[in-house]
Amino acid sequence: MNIHLRRAFYLFAAGFVALVGMLIYWQVYARESLANNPNNGLQTRRSIEAPRGLILAGDGKTVLARSEGHKTDGGPVYERIYPQGAAFSNVIGYWSVRYGASGIEIAENSNLSGVTSDPATLDDLINQVRGGRQPGNNVELTLDPELQRIAYDELGQTVTGRGSAMAIDPKTGEILALVTSPSYDPNNLDDDFPELIQDPAAPLLDRATQSLYPPGSTFKLITSSAALKAGVRPSDKFFDPGYLDTPGYRVFNYQGKDYGELTFAEALAFSVNVIFAKIAINEVGPQLLYDTARDFGYGDPYDDFILPVTGSGLGYPPDQWVEGNTAQIAFGQDRVSSNVFEMGLVTATVANDGVMMEPRLVREVRSPDGIIIDRPAQSIRRRSLDAGTANTLNDMMQGVITTGQLTQAEVPGVEVAGKTGTAEAPPREPHSWFVSFAPADDPQIAVAVMVENGGEISAEGDAATPSIPIAQDLMEEYLKRGDR
Amino acid sequence: MTQRATTPMILALLITTLGFATMIFVQEAASPPLIYGAYYAGTLFTLYLGIRLWLPHSDVLLLPIVTLLTGLGLVMIFRLTYNIEGVENLATTQAIWILVGSGAMLFIVLFFRNYSQLFNYKYLMVIAAFGLILMTFTPLGYEVNGARLWVDLGPVNFQPSEFARIALTIFFAGYLAEKRDVMAATSRSFMGIQLPAIKYFGPVALVWAGSLGLLIFEKDLGSSLLFFAVPLLMLYVATGRTAYVILGSLLFAFGSLLTFLLFDHVQVRVEAWLDPWEEPDSTGFQILQSIFNIADGGLTGTGLGAGFSQTIPEVQTDFIFSTVASELGLVGATAVILAFLIFTYRGTKIALLAGDDASKLLAFGLTAMFAMQTLVIIGGVTKAIPLTGITLPFVSYGGSSVVGSFILTGLLLVISERSGRREAEELLPPEDRP
Repeated sequence: MNIHLRRAFYLFAAGFVALVGMLIYWQVYARESLANNPNNGLQTRRSIEAPRGLILAGDGKTVLARSEGHKTDGGPVYERIYPQGAAFSNVIGYWSVRYGASGIEIAENSNLSGVTSDPATLDDLINQVRGGRQPGNNVELTLDPELQRIAYDELGQTVTGRGSAMAIDPKTGEILALVTSPSYDPNNLDDDFPELIQDPAAPLLDRATQSLYPPGSTFKLITSSAALKAGVRPSDKFFDPGYLDTPGYRVFNYQGKDYGELTFAEALAFSVNVIFAKIAINEVGPQLLYDTARDFGYGDPYDDFILPVTGSGLGYPPDQWVEGNTAQIAFGQDRVSSNVFEMGLVTATVANDGVMMEPRLVREVRSPDGIIIDRPAQSIRRRSLDAGTANTLNDMMQGVITTGQLTQAEVPGVEVAGKTGTAEAPPREPHSWFVSFAPADDPQIAVAVMVENGGEISAEGDAATPSIPIAQDLMEEYLKRGDR
Repeated sequence: MTQRATTPMILALLITTLGFATMIFVQEAASPPLIYGAYYAGTLFTLYLGIRLWLPHSDVLLLPIVTLLTGLGLVMIFRLTYNIEGVENLATTQAIWILVGSGAMLFIVLFFRNYSQLFNYKYLMVIAAFGLILMTFTPLGYEVNGARLWVDLGPVNFQPSEFARIALTIFFAGYLAEKRDVMAATSRSFMGIQLPAIKYFGPVALVWAGSLGLLIFEKDLGSSLLFFAVPLLMLYVATGRTAYVILGSLLFAFGSLLTFLLFDHVQVRVEAWLDPWEEPDSTGFQILQSIFNIADGGLTGTGLGAGFSQTIPEVQTDFIFSTVASELGLVGATAVILAFLIFTYRGTKIALLAGDDASKLLAFGLTAMFAMQTLVIIGGVTKAIPLTGITLPFVSYGGSSVVGSFILTGLLLVISERSGRREAEELLPPEDRP
C-alpha cells in the first residue's frame, strides 16, 4: 500500500509544481501584455489612487503640477491640478486617464508616480514593503516661471497670437523658458480634448520644439560662422548691386533695397541677402555651409532630450545643391527648417564661446521628504565653433544692435548681441524671428523668439517685427534681478 | 514521529504578526490590527500547547503550517473587508470561526484519540453524510450564486458538504480497509480491464455515485470533483489496481460530458475558461480580473494592501489566492503553495507510518482531500482548469471551510499520535511498556 501512497503523493506534488508554473506564466511571461490589455483597468486605477509627485519651476517654489485627493467610496482618488494653466502646458504636458499623458508628466513618470519606481531611499523601501500608497517624487525644472509667463502672455498678444520662444542659460544649458502659443489649459483636458485636436490653431502642438519653420535671416549666424571659418574677415568689403543672378533664380534683398559697398560685418547688421548669397557661393561652398550647420545641431533629432523634438534640417545633401539653393540656404530660406529650440541653442552656442551645452529642463528630483534622488549634471553637447570665431561673431552680432540701430532690443546697462529674421512664408505674412543674448561680454541668457506670420512689411524695415520686444523683455527681466 | 515544533510555530506567528503590523500602515489605524494579531497568536499558541500536552507523540509540525495559512487568510480577509466602505467586515467573523475550529480540533484530540471506533460506525457515517447533503434540499437550505450549498440553522449558516466529505472519507477508509483484499482479487474482465466483484464493489460505488449525484444537483461543482476524485484515489491506494484509475478516468470523462450537456452553469464555466475574452464584462469577468490581478503582482507583488484584488467578485472566499499572488507576488504565492505541499507531505507521511490499513486509508483520504481541494481552486483561479467554486483550505473566508479543515487536521493528528506512541514504546525496555 505504501508504494501507492507515495505515487499518489508524487501526483499531488506534480500538481503543485504545475501551479507554480502557471503562476510564472502569468506573473512573469504574460505580465506585460496583460498589463496593457484594454480590459485591464488596474493600471488606470493605480494611476489615480496614488498621489503623483509635484512638478516645480526653477525657483523651487512655483508649483506647476500637483495631485489633489478626493475621498470616494473606493478610497482616495487623486486629480492632477496645474495651477499655472496654459503657459506651461507644452512642457508639463497632461496626465489623463482617458487620453494618456505627455510632456514632463510622461517623461518623468517613473519619478512622479511613486508606485512604479524602484526604491531610491530607505523610506521608499519601507513604504513599498509596507505597501502604502507612496506619493511620487518631486521634479524641479529649470524653467523661470516669470520668463515663461512673460513670453506666453506677450506671444498671445501678437498680431496672430501664434508663436514660440526659448530662453536658455548659455553657460549651463538650463532652459529658462520654453513657450508656445496658443496653448491649452491642462486642467480641463478630459472635457476639452475632442475640441483641442480639431482646433486649426493646433494648441496641442508645441511650436517651440515640434514645428518647423524657415529660420530666415537668423540662419545667417551659421552662414557667418562658415564664412569666418573660410577666412572671410568682418572688415572684408563686398558690393551689393541690389540683386544676384544665379542660374534660374534672382536674389533680392529684403524690401528690395540695394546697399552698395559694405563690409561683411555691415552686411550682417543690415541683413543683406545678396552679399550672404555671394559669400556662400564664392567663399564658403555647399559642403562647408552644410558641415557648419551640422556642427550647430542641424540634422540632430535630439532623441535624448526629455521632450520630443523635431530635428532641424537643410532639406537635401550638399552635393545636390545648385547655386540657387546655396544662395537661398545662406539666408535661411529654400528648404531650411528649424524652430526656436534649435535657433536658441545656436545663439547660446555663439554666446558660450562656440560650446553647445546639453539643453536641460530637469534640475533635480527629490523624494517627498526632500532627499535628492537625481540631479543631472551640466555637460557639453558639442563644440560647434572655436572660441576665436565665436567671439568674432559675437562682436558682429553686437553690431546688429548698434549699427543696425535696433533700439527695441537694447537692454539698459548691458550690451546685447542679436540677429533678426523675417522668413518668407508665402502666401501668408512672413514669420518674425529674433535671436539674441546678453550681456554680450558675459552672456547669461540667450533667447530665440518667433512669431508665426508676425512679420510686417513696413517702411521701417526689420525693426518693426514683433519678436524683438518679446526677446528684449525676457533679457531685461532676467538681467535686472542682479547677480546670477 | 514525536515532534516538537515550537520554533516553526513561533516563526509562523511572527509572519502573521508582521502581516498585521503592515495593516497598521495600510489601514492607518493602530489598534485593530494589533488586537487581531494578539488574539490570533494567543488562540493558535494555546492550541499548540494543548496538542503538545495531550498528543505528545503526534506530528505537530502540521500546526505551524495551519497557523501560517490561517493567519495569512485572516490578514487578507482583514485587508479586504475591514473598515472598507460598502464592504461587510468579515475579519471578526473569520476570527470567531478560527476559534471554533480550534475548539473542534481540541474536541477531536480529547475525545477521538481512539478514532478506530469511528470505523465501526462507518455506515452511520454514510447516513450522516447523506443527511447533511440532503439538508440543503429542505426548506432550511438556500442558494448562493445559483448553487444550493447552504443550510440556515438560525444563528449559523453552514455548508454541509464540507463536513459530509469528512464523514464519507471515514466510511471509505473503514470499508476499503476491510474489503481491500477481496476487492483486489479479480473475478472477471471487461474489454481487457479486470473488474472486481460487484458484491464488494457495490456499496462503494453506490455511496460514491449517490453523493456525487446529490452534489451535481446542488450544482456544487467543486465538491463534486472532490467527491469523485478522493474515493477513486483511496480505491487505488487500497487495491493498488491501476484499473480503477483508468475506469475512473473514463467515468470522469463521460460524467463531465454529461454534466456539460445537461447543465447551463457548467457550460458557462467551461466557456469562460476556454475564452474569457469573448465576454470580458460578464461571464469572463471574474476569471479575467483574477488573472489581471495575479499578473499585476509580478515577481515580488504590489505589497500588502496595494493591490486591486477587490475588483474580483467573491475575492475573500474562492479567489483569495489571487489576492495573495497579487500582493505577495510570485515569491509569496510560491511560498504559500509550498506550505500546502508540506502539509500534503506530512499527511502522506502520517499515512505511511500508520499501523493499520484503516488508519492509513483515512490519513491518505484526508490528505488527498486537502491536496485536491487546493489544486482545484488554485488551478481554477489561475485558469489552469475550469473554475469550480470551492474554498482554499484554511485561507479562504468561511466558517464551514475553516472548521472542516481544523477537524481534518485534528484527525490527522490523532492518527499520527497512535503510530508515534507505538514507536516510542518500542524504544522503551520491555518492562516499562504499558
